Amino acid sequence: MLKKKGWFTLLSLILTVSVVLAGCGGNNNNAAKSNTGNTGTTENTATKTDDSKETKELTFMYRGGTDEQAAYKKVVEKFEADHPNVKVKIIVTAADQYATKLKASITGKSIPDVFYFESGDLKAYVNSGVLLDLNSYIEANKDINLDNIWKYGVDLYRYDGTMAGQGNIYGMPKDVGPFALGYNKTMFEKAGIPLPDKDKPYTWDEFVKVAQQLTVDTTGDGKPDQYGTGFNVQWALQAFVWSNGADWIDSTKTKVTIDDPKFAEALQYMADLQNKYKVTPSTEQAQTLDTYQRWMKGEMAFFPVGPWDMSTYETLPFDYDLIPYPAGSTGKSATWTGSLGIGASAKTKYPEEAVALIDYLTASKEGMEALVKAKVQIPNLIDMATEWAADTSTKPANKEEFLQIVNDYGRVLPGHYTYNAEWYNLFFTDIQPVIDGKVTAADYVKSEQPKMQKLLDKAIEQEEKSKK
Amino acid sequence: MTTSNLYRKEKIYGFLFILAPLLGLIIFTLYPMLYSIYGSLTDWDGLGQMSFIGLSNFTDLFTDELFHKAVFNTLFMMLGIPIGITLALLLALGLNRGARGTTTFRVIYYVPVISSLAAVSIMWNWAYNGDYGLVNQFLDLFGISGPNWMANKYTVKPALIIMAVWKGLGYTMLLYLAALQSVSRTYYEAAELDGANGFQSFRHITWPMVRPVTFFIVVTNIIGGSQIFTEMNIMTPTGGPEYASASVVFYIWQKAFGSFQMGYASAMAVVLGAFIFVVTLIQFRMNEKSSFDVD
Repeated sequence: MLKKKGWFTLLSLILTVSVVLAGCGGNNNNAAKSNTGNTGTTENTATKTDDSKETKELTFMYRGGTDEQAAYKKVVEKFEADHPNVKVKIIVTAADQYATKLKASITGKSIPDVFYFESGDLKAYVNSGVLLDLNSYIEANKDINLDNIWKYGVDLYRYDGTMAGQGNIYGMPKDVGPFALGYNKTMFEKAGIPLPDKDKPYTWDEFVKVAQQLTVDTTGDGKPDQYGTGFNVQWALQAFVWSNGADWIDSTKTKVTIDDPKFAEALQYMADLQNKYKVTPSTEQAQTLDTYQRWMKGEMAFFPVGPWDMSTYETLPFDYDLIPYPAGSTGKSATWTGSLGIGASAKTKYPEEAVALIDYLTASKEGMEALVKAKVQIPNLIDMATEWAADTSTKPANKEEFLQIVNDYGRVLPGHYTYNAEWYNLFFTDIQPVIDGKVTAADYVKSEQPKMQKLLDKAIEQEEKSKK
Repeated sequence: MTTSNLYRKEKIYGFLFILAPLLGLIIFTLYPMLYSIYGSLTDWDGLGQMSFIGLSNFTDLFTDELFHKAVFNTLFMMLGIPIGITLALLLALGLNRGARGTTTFRVIYYVPVISSLAAVSIMWNWAYNGDYGLVNQFLDLFGISGPNWMANKYTVKPALIIMAVWKGLGYTMLLYLAALQSVSRTYYEAAELDGANGFQSFRHITWPMVRPVTFFIVVTNIIGGSQIFTEMNIMTPTGGPEYASASVVFYIWQKAFGSFQMGYASAMAVVLGAFIFVVTLIQFRMNEKSSFDVD
């Protein structure tokens, strides 16, 4: 057991971090201030040497797995080489500690100049004056061509004071993460089942039928060793709910709409995959990790694939490809597209340089090429992405599906539009009995809606207050 | 001149010596503590806006189901304290007999204590894995098919308790071992002459003699147990099935850093702090009343 003064520690942590961060930012010389107009460009070697005397220091806080950290570090070094008068101080954390660290630095009023942030936190950060309005800088920067960047990605970081998704730009997408559906091609071929069509999604019934055919007991011990699928409800339910024409929240983003019968139908379908159709491992047999492992071992026919999986999946012992998610009553596929933003602090001393760094990381050819080569993301630049997807020689062949999701049928997770995502998270906190088949979806949505609504009301109230 | 120059200087030096820890206490403990008490009376979002709203954060706690769950979970997981103490004392008694290999066992039991809690949590998470986990594979040897520990709301808390006991065992055992070794042999010899059996000498000599250590362990474990956080943060990052493994500090952390409700989180922290303070106070009182000297 711990023997720490937990909450003291928590609070002193905030202070410690703030002291440390304040120490980092205080070293800039005054002379640099007079020179802000002259950067973000690399054309003049003569001014380069002049500027190098007056170093402008930016702090850049980001997160990621080891591969990703290294890839981004390299790009930042390249940026420094191109901008000799700018020095970038890197603060990097593991993914799970990032949010705490960022919020502590905000509370401690020493916000890094450039930092990652969740698109869902956009409203809060704009309302409290944390994020710099990038609009004028982006317009002035001729290196940034917004038409060549995913509209979906950029729109996530627009906010007009009332609704996210429109208005001025407060961040640029670090990347977009379409959550596609993959299938084990080798398994299909072995079983002699026709391959799924990459342009025509399965209906729900078809999906169950195929999954049932592929759920087999190969060892004869009475338990299947190969399953149709194994979805994690938290990341896969969206595809079923949306394609059935339902959603968690209404268009005004003020009402929780999970009590829609179409919603219940989608949730029930997902629970039935496990309990009625038995095409997934049961809860006893599987945690998320296990379905992931089963997929990797080639024991699962369908499994979600994100761009971040590509480097790992390269060594899979089977061939896989991407298809659209099975479509519900709307007849259309749906899924979500994640994203993480890069923004600048409203209090940064060097806004031009900060935006230049953001541009380099998110919208420049040089930066993007390096990141795509490291296989940590799909390209932000549309022309580059199209070229990337056209190459069908690397796995998965149908990379085009990723781009279709971003361009066409991918949506943002429902928590994005609200001040916080507590109400949405509660849905998944309480969901286990439905997945286990102990509570029907219809009963669940009925009992859960008021609880979620209460939290949503609170978030709305909080938002109103933050606007003052 | 009543005080000498030297004496006065000494006073200054003395003050300088305590200045560093004192400043540390004021800056890193007292100030944040007072600030969070003030924060608990506001609707602070942790970003900027902060207006006074009186006690409404505290009254909200009464109707907050998740808070009640978190409190229940935290108290439930303290069941690990008596289990840990019993096991540690038994181990210490065993090792105190001076059998061969005592040092080896001491090392084995102490290794978890010095291991990083985060690493230990990740390791146990694998051990508890429903399919391939070490725990269920072991149970399988006896024909028991184990549950999916971390995904089942009834097993997740016991699973965390088992891990916490395992992690803390070595430390508690070592404290007991030191206490046992300081008990004078003469008491046992005298008891033996009077015809006391093993249990009686444990009941009337050992147990009372290690009492201060037991007291220390109970106090520190309750304080630590009230603040349990890292384990669930790593092993059940969403608070577990139906929030079954979320502790109070976990909930505070979610509110403060996930939902922009620093004021509300501060209110919970104040309640938790008050709870720990009161429990510790009661324990100190009880200890004073029932303590006695053998001499």
